[in-house]
Amino acid sequence: MDKAHIDQLLDPQTISNAEALGMQARSMVEGYMAGEHKSPYRGFAIEFAQHREYSHGDDTRHLDWKVQARTDRYFIKQYEQETNYVANILLDGSESMKYGSGAITKLQYGKMIAACLAYVILHQRDAVALGLFDTTMRDYSPRSDSKATIHKLMARLAAFEPTDQTNIATVLHDMAMQIRRKGIVIVISDFFDDEQKVLEGIQHLRFGGNEVIVFHIMDPYELEFPFTGLVEFEGLEQIPKILTRPAEVQKSYLREVEAFRNRLRDGCEKNQCHYLLVNTAQPLHEVLAGYLGFRLRTTTR
Amino acid sequence: MGFLNPFMLFGITAVSVPIIIHLLNRRKFQKVVWAAMRFLKVSVEQNQRRMKVEDIILLLLRCLLLILLALALARPAMKQAASEIFGQTQVTAVVVLDNSLSMGMSDGTQTRFEKAKKTAEQAMETMPAGSSVAILLASDIVNGVVPEPTFDFNLARKAIKEAPLTDRGSDLGPAVNKAIETLKGRFAIRKEIYVLTDGQTTGWKQFGEIENTLKKVKGDIRAHFVFINEHEVHNLGIDELRLDSGMSPAKHPLRFAVRVTNHGREPARDVRVSLHVDSDPPSNEYNLELLGAGESKTIPLFAKLGGEGFHSVTARLPEDRLVADGKRSVAVRAIKEVRVLLVDGEPGAEPRDSEVFYLRHALTPVAGGEQAGYFIKPVVASLSDLSAARLDDYDAVVLANVAELSETTVVAFEQYLRRGGGLVVFPGGKVNPVFYNDSLVKKHQLLPALLGEIRGQADQDEKYLSFQDKNFDHPVVAIWNDEGSGTLSSARIFRAIDLLPAPYTRPPAPKPGDNPADVKLNDAGEPRVVLRYSDGRPAVMERTWGLGRVVLFSTTADTAWNDLPVRPAFVPVMHRVLGSIIQRQDEGLNVRVGERFLRRTSSELLGKDARVTKPRQTDAVPELRRVEMLAGAPALHFEQTDLSGLYEFTVADPLTTFKFAAQASALESSLDELSAEQKKLLSASAHVVDWTPGLSLKDVVLRERSGLEFWLPIVLAALAVAALETFLAQWFSRSK
Repeated sequence: MDKAHIDQLLDPQTISNAEALGMQARSMVEGYMAGEHKSPYRGFAIEFAQHREYSHGDDTRHLDWKVQARTDRYFIKQYEQETNYVANILLDGSESMKYGSGAITKLQYGKMIAACLAYVILHQRDAVALGLFDTTMRDYSPRSDSKATIHKLMARLAAFEPTDQTNIATVLHDMAMQIRRKGIVIVISDFFDDEQKVLEGIQHLRFGGNEVIVFHIMDPYELEFPFTGLVEFEGLEQIPKILTRPAEVQKSYLREVEAFRNRLRDGCEKNQCHYLLVNTAQPLHEVLAGYLGFRLRTTTR
Repeated sequence: MGFLNPFMLFGITAVSVPIIIHLLNRRKFQKVVWAAMRFLKVSVEQNQRRMKVEDIILLLLRCLLLILLALALARPAMKQAASEIFGQTQVTAVVVLDNSLSMGMSDGTQTRFEKAKKTAEQAMETMPAGSSVAILLASDIVNGVVPEPTFDFNLARKAIKEAPLTDRGSDLGPAVNKAIETLKGRFAIRKEIYVLTDGQTTGWKQFGEIENTLKKVKGDIRAHFVFINEHEVHNLGIDELRLDSGMSPAKHPLRFAVRVTNHGREPARDVRVSLHVDSDPPSNEYNLELLGAGESKTIPLFAKLGGEGFHSVTARLPEDRLVADGKRSVAVRAIKEVRVLLVDGEPGAEPRDSEVFYLRHALTPVAGGEQAGYFIKPVVASLSDLSAARLDDYDAVVLANVAELSETTVVAFEQYLRRGGGLVVFPGGKVNPVFYNDSLVKKHQLLPALLGEIRGQADQDEKYLSFQDKNFDHPVVAIWNDEGSGTLSSARIFRAIDLLPAPYTRPPAPKPGDNPADVKLNDAGEPRVVLRYSDGRPAVMERTWGLGRVVLFSTTADTAWNDLPVRPAFVPVMHRVLGSIIQRQDEGLNVRVGERFLRRTSSELLGKDARVTKPRQTDAVPELRRVEMLAGAPALHFEQTDLSGLYEFTVADPLTTFKFAAQASALESSLDELSAEQKKLLSASAHVVDWTPGLSLKDVVLRERSGLEFWLPIVLAALAVAALETFLAQWFSRSK
């Protein structure tokens, strides 16, 4: 069962590319154990950070005697603490994610992204928490840095079936309240919701010091709208049926989609979040390798 | 505004087709489950109203396109449209060319007919491409040389070019009616009639009817009358030429009567009238010193016919501008001898007592020694000899006081008469009226009258009847209208039988289209009174019978009941009676132009071809006519007698020649034309143009012509709508 889930969700080429690149924290994260990532806490590890004047109660072990010999003043050596991070992967499981013009639906694609990221993160000994939501958090796997957790996550992802509409903003606010340590929040969704509220949710997460990554998943048909003739569109999320000649409204539709994406992207950029538009027609390994490569290049250590 | 194909308007119902297609299309769509509904919803909401409007516009355009196509197919047309921006509308026309004799009037260079032909071609030039034209030649008949409108203008031009001028009379009524009939049922906006005539009043006998007919069709058919008649004041014509002598023996001087009329407006002086036999130089001439305007004179002219057989005798006037009426021909058969069988019903003891004594002498009014050479050869026979006699050996048989005839003899007389024999019957004391009435009148219809009551007493000389002394109608006695010819009224008739005209039913006239071979000829002709008594009762009656003639007297041939045989008038009376019998055989030799020529022939010619030579066409390829059975006898017939003059039939073996002549109507010589008032009346219902030298009918007609068919602009509109629809359909369906 687990093997089947892994085969279904983990693309070997993606994993291979992603493993090499790794998933680094862009900002300082508050880990719960020593790891590869910078912690906001100054500690006594390997990487020297700065000197601080000795004050009463400081551990004398960290006194820099060489400085004291030269200046006759007491300074404490401070080091940057390296820690692991917790990546909260939030996958939209609403009904709109069920759409797929080709062989793969947006949800399936999202699941694959989530699975691959989880695998890469766990593989570098960081912790992953996985949340599947629609109007509320439907399925939440608490953080874990155990590699074995991956199987559990895969099974959960594979078993998930969407049943309801989406309400991303509420879920994001809830998450912002729940996360105690700064970490990475990865939101995978088509964001067919009120984007203003979604951005407020992201802002809330960012306010908590989390890095937020937005994977905006769209089907190629949603991006191109290539329908012709007379078509009756049946909504997945309770909007009544619409009978129209799509070719005649294509440009108008694409303008709407473009405007929506721009608002979402601008909002993300304003909140210093990575916004990534994912077209499900693109191979997943390209998407992830591209993003992780970009991330590797731009991450400050 | 009207429609030329109104039933095509039903095509407008096709307007429902795009509506139905539109409705059906709304039920045929693809279903797609869709996630990004919010964007689609916004787009559709933004565009829905516009799309609906566009749909309605396209639907309306498609419906309009179908309506326009249906309208174009229905060919709407409006009269009196001045604009011709869409080109001229096709014309369906009938050109009526007057080809009667009077159209032969020349101005010195061109005849009216030649001018009419040129004008007809001008009329055709006014017609735009796609027009059609029929050509009718109008005289006293209508000859459809191109009877139905043809699009082949070359054919029509050829028909006009080759149209012959005839010597027929003119009557435009039937031609105009025929032209209207030809156009009536046609789907065309512009229907036009062009009548090219000289406007001679004789052709407008039905002026009122023509005018009314044109008024009725005025809205549908436009008639153009072009009057080609330059004012002419001189025209002399020979109205009549007839043989005045009772018979036409060869080598005897024959008297012909020639009536010359001055149809002009001014008197004519020194008019030389000449008479020609065959193509010989004039045999006799006469100079008319003065002939007043409208005056007629009859001139006696004499000629001798060379030998036995057919001859033509032509009277001629000096040529004037209308040549055709300046000469007139008759065909005359010269006879070598006339054999008459006199059947004596009461021979008597002495020759002088013979019933036919006076008759025999009257028929040979020459001295005894010359009788043998005289052309009339009377043979006296008794009743008993009659049955043995070959009737066909005689030109005429006289029954004088014959009591009865055997049935065989009566039947033999029927055959004899049918072949052209003559029978003269004189009553007398021995005659059995019951037999005559029952057999000869009622059963065989030979005699022209029933024998009635016998009036008067022969044995006294106080009470008598006399013949009329004036108003002689019958040609046999017409010469006594001229007082110089003597009188008939001096004869006294003491006893006579009342002649009661035999019942007679006139057969229906043959129709122009009938096959001549199918026309049944009635043997017994209409009984006619030749001579009357002064109290008006018939004294002599006659009827034609087959090709022969029967003459019935009401009194005896000898002096038993009257003293006519000893009167000077007896000889000419008997000669003229005999002449009428001989001429009866030749009556058909002279027909009016247009009439059928029919001549019985001997049976040995049956099935043989006769070559026909027409007047004025000696160099043309001669026509052939076959001698065929007609009403039980071999006969030659010829119908195309459009020209006046001599026609000649020649059968090669055995060499036989027949001649006949056709005479034109004297009315055609008239210079009377339609008056200005009449033309004004006519112009109320037709376009009237007076021909002048240099007339451009094209300009006149194009100015006058009005009427426009709208199918072309509608088709253009439909194309524009189709183009607009295509453009808008593309424009509307573009992505927005």
